Amino acid sequence: MLSLPTPSLYQASKCFATHGVMSHLDPNQSPSKSKPWSTLTSQDFVNRADLIVPQEAYDAIHAKLVEGRRAPEFKRVVMSLHDILTSEFFVEYIKKGDILMLSEGQRGIDNVFSLRTGILTMFLDKEAYERAGLVGKPHGVKGRRGLKPRWIVQLDLTNPSMSRGHKGFDRLVYASKNALNASTVWLFCDMASTTPDPDPLSQHFPSGYTCNPRVMRDVSVIIPPLSPKLDSTILGPREDFESFATEIYEWLSLARLQSPRIQLGDQVDPYLCRYQVPGPGEQGSKICKISWQGFLSPSWAREILVDVISALPSKTWFSFSTTTFSKGMAGDNSECTILRPPGSPGEYIMWEVKAHE
Amino acid sequence: MEAKGKKEQSVAAALLARAHTPDEANRIFTEKIQHRPLFLTPSSPPPSDARAARQREREKKKQQRKKALKPKPLSAAQRRKLGLYDVPREGQKYALFEPLHNLWLGYIREILGGEIYTGGEGAAAKLTSADYHGAGVEVVRSGCVSRVGIKGIVVKDSKFAFEIVTKKNTLKLVPKEGTVFRFEVPAVNARSGSRDPGAEDADGAAATTPEQHETDRPQNMVFEIHGDQFQFRSADRANKKFRVHFSKKL
Repeated sequence: MLSLPTPSLYQASKCFATHGVMSHLDPNQSPSKSKPWSTLTSQDFVNRADLIVPQEAYDAIHAKLVEGRRAPEFKRVVMSLHDILTSEFFVEYIKKGDILMLSEGQRGIDNVFSLRTGILTMFLDKEAYERAGLVGKPHGVKGRRGLKPRWIVQLDLTNPSMSRGHKGFDRLVYASKNALNASTVWLFCDMASTTPDPDPLSQHFPSGYTCNPRVMRDVSVIIPPLSPKLDSTILGPREDFESFATEIYEWLSLARLQSPRIQLGDQVDPYLCRYQVPGPGEQGSKICKISWQGFLSPSWAREILVDVISALPSKTWFSFSTTTFSKGMAGDNSECTILRPPGSPGEYIMWEVKAHE
Repeated sequence: MEAKGKKEQSVAAALLARAHTPDEANRIFTEKIQHRPLFLTPSSPPPSDARAARQREREKKKQQRKKALKPKPLSAAQRRKLGLYDVPREGQKYALFEPLHNLWLGYIREILGGEIYTGGEGAAAKLTSADYHGAGVEVVRSGCVSRVGIKGIVVKDSKFAFEIVTKKNTLKLVPKEGTVFRFEVPAVNARSGSRDPGAEDADGAAATTPEQHETDRPQNMVFEIHGDQFQFRSADRANKKFRVHFSKKL
């Protein structure tokens, strides 16, 4: 039947900049409640993480992060929701363990399932929701859902009432047998340090991947002044901090992308690119970049940040950024970048990009 | 009228004075306005005398008696009050309706004949005019998600709802609106091999593609009915022609 395509409301992602002071790191207790840490843990699945440090600090970092730590691993497996809910997998991994799982697809188009901290979230289209029979909430911009709304169903699987014989769980199993019975590709990350033996995942023949960190050293770049002027953030007008934060974030993003524009001795025709590194910097210095890409957990990102702070001398600057998997149809990611300016041990500037969905 | 002030002539009198001679104006004012007669009982039609009143009473009683002799169908409120169509608590047992279900299976197989294996338009036409009391039904899709999964035998097929008795001996009233029901008819002779894809539904109003489901021994004919298009009493459905309707909700 002919119908006009439903208009989608595109809203650009928003970036929130924070300038603050980190509390002192207690070696026994890893922090989780205060500002830079809570933002890292609030991300759902981390796709990419980058660390930029000056070259002088490279050895300390390399020893602690690359050699001292095991590279994070994740697996890719083809399963159906029914397999996840029944069999040993459910008991071992979901009830007893702590895992992250994400299914293939885009949230606005396909039926996407995700499992995080024991909560199963399903993004369903109208037909799948009506056939599943589980109660959910409408999903999408309020005025633009039209005749074909999409739905989110959220269930806490660690609840003791989610076991065989209970009505809620039986309805979920019924739905997984009838409406949601397609087997999709899942990414699986086990956050516990030990795997159960025998591994219930092995019967589905997963393929394992290791996120080995990639190191780029001795990159000569021009570094802009990274310390914010104190009066610009607290006393001065807001525009000063805004312009400072924007310029530094732009530079950090270019450094992450290994752009030639910030490198020393870059001569590009101003017709093509008019970017200038902010500040008077003429002489270059060397930085190095370590990046991980894969299916990473936000708690791992937090541990890396703790390690970096403890490994580096307190006056050295560094920048750590994490990017999550894209959520909406426009492909926006949400991202968190933390910069510790040189010369001030507890201070940090954090940029948090939130996608629209 | 006096409240307008004794010194001032009333508005009505002033208006009348403009249109009539003073004598006429005065007469009209006193007769028709100031001393207007107020009838306590309407004067038209003319009041009847006692004889006519008695005659009328007698006629009315005769009409009522005649009406009472004529049999009239019960209204919906009366039906509900009398509870004639309720299934009593002892009767809400699944086991009681299983023989009815078997009868229905035999009836459907007889109606469909050979088309139970092929499905398609002809089967769809027969199924729409069939009667569904005693059919085994499962709610497969619904705008109200709590209805999904209800499975049992149809006890009553009314205009807007199905009354279904479930295996747990509960009676459930499922509205037809926005709901899709699935019926399964196992074919008696198990045929090996052939699996016909089932022709596309031209009669899409009532049944979606009747498909053949190959289970291990008996083959099942499975068809789904969209309740939105099926909101007719079973008696009315017998001669109704179903046309394809585009559904905005699907």
